[in-house]
Amino acid sequence: MNGVAIEVVRPGLCDLVMDGGRPGWARAGVPTGGAADQAALAAANRLVGNRPDAPALEIVARGPQLHFPRGGVIALTGAPFRAARAAGLVAGWNQTLVLAAEEILRLGEPAEGYRCWLAIRGGLAVEPVLGSASALPQAGWGGVTGRPLRVGDRLFSHPAGGGVHLLRARPPGVESAAPLRVVAGPQASALTDTGLANLFGGCFRVDAASDRRGIRLTGPGVAGKAQAFPTQGVLPGAIQVPPDGQPIILGWDGPVTGGYPVAATVIGADLPRLAQLKPGAEVRFATVSVDDARALAPPEWLVEDWA
Amino acid sequence: MAKPQAGQSQSALPWRWMGERGLRLETGAVTLDRYAQLVDASFEEIEDVIPADGSILLILKPGVPPPAKLGELLAAPPPRLPERAAALHVLPLRVTEDASPDLALCAARAGLAAGEFVRQFTAIEFTVAFLGFQPGFPYLAGLPGHWAMSRRATPRVRVPAGSVALGGSYAGVYPMAGPGGWHIVGQTDAKLFDPARARPALLAAGDRVQFEVQS
Repeated sequence: MNGVAIEVVRPGLCDLVMDGGRPGWARAGVPTGGAADQAALAAANRLVGNRPDAPALEIVARGPQLHFPRGGVIALTGAPFRAARAAGLVAGWNQTLVLAAEEILRLGEPAEGYRCWLAIRGGLAVEPVLGSASALPQAGWGGVTGRPLRVGDRLFSHPAGGGVHLLRARPPGVESAAPLRVVAGPQASALTDTGLANLFGGCFRVDAASDRRGIRLTGPGVAGKAQAFPTQGVLPGAIQVPPDGQPIILGWDGPVTGGYPVAATVIGADLPRLAQLKPGAEVRFATVSVDDARALAPPEWLVEDWA
Repeated sequence: MAKPQAGQSQSALPWRWMGERGLRLETGAVTLDRYAQLVDASFEEIEDVIPADGSILLILKPGVPPPAKLGELLAAPPPRLPERAAALHVLPLRVTEDASPDLALCAARAGLAAGEFVRQFTAIEFTVAFLGFQPGFPYLAGLPGHWAMSRRATPRVRVPAGSVALGGSYAGVYPMAGPGGWHIVGQTDAKLFDPARARPALLAAGDRVQFEVQS
């Protein structure tokens, strides 16, 4: 390790260490977790010369104030938060940033969207749990004992070899107002006709009680045919419909099994958009076929030389 | 003119899609046999296999179609698991007033005195139907049908780690402290999940479990 890379002067609302997550452990009850937008994490890491899934910070809603005692090479991707550096330097998004020793980076609230990622050259040095540094708050794993950052926390980074390249990244053009694309089923037939019409034709809002485990929606009632439903395996993006008719989109840290019907599932290409849904945001759904969903790979970032 | 065969390809599939990566198989009574078969087959395209209550969810790796041989494998019933091959775990059970806040309620529901409920509970050889809810949380099948308990109307904010509890037709053990709505009949010191172990989850689907009162 490299000495203290980041010291937390003031934490944000919920700053968590995230990497590629823990795929393959669901059969043991462990959610995959990891950065809510893997492509944005990968872009941030590439901008600082790291492997795409190196541990970085996932920042949501209100950012932290971070002190970099030795300076450092960092990059920010995702939602553009209000940001300030010393001496009026610009904390630009989607580009390699070189910080001087003792610099302080102040992140405020996002102008739009909800989450951003901060990668640091070398990657955050965190003891992996089941192969991943990602924080899982409900288990106390990864990150800083699994919890959000607190005042005084010190994060370390791994040493990095080679020179620094100044790069910039072009995020994919994503239409944030477009409906979320879903594959219908497997239990769309558990809904009444009105429930189905409301799910696929209605407009929902993201409830404040949402987090990485699930995005709770409020809107027109998605009524089910009200019968006991046996527990089944589920995955992130699955839209569960509990008896109260208010759908829940399962998130990255959600349970691996669920006892409510799944009426539809958000496709992989649109999962990164879930990361940017803040409380109050409007959500609509549009169905696509499985073949189309598979052909729609997650939108790609371009990373190129800047200087 | 032939009738259009709308939806034929979807209905002919031996699974239902959950997104473009989830394949839900209806497996009923042979869930554990099919689970063992799919784990053994270890298809390159499959990231995970989640057994549950009469169904299995296969999760494909991102961007890949289902394995070509999957349909063929699912067309025949799975090989039966040998009756006694599964590991038997004997878990210690502590039954005290503090450790067993819902014992009286569960015993009453079963129509038994508390002592007799515990005696019968510890005589059951459970089968791990599947793991879910928390890392390593086992859904244990084997309770008499009339012992079934609906969830608590208001879940507890914090159920201690090691709590042995009843929910629906299952018994379960909370590997970690956290909110929970099942009825707690005792505590075990067994460590259900430890990420530092070579096999982090103590139990696997298909394993057998019996509780033994700690003296």
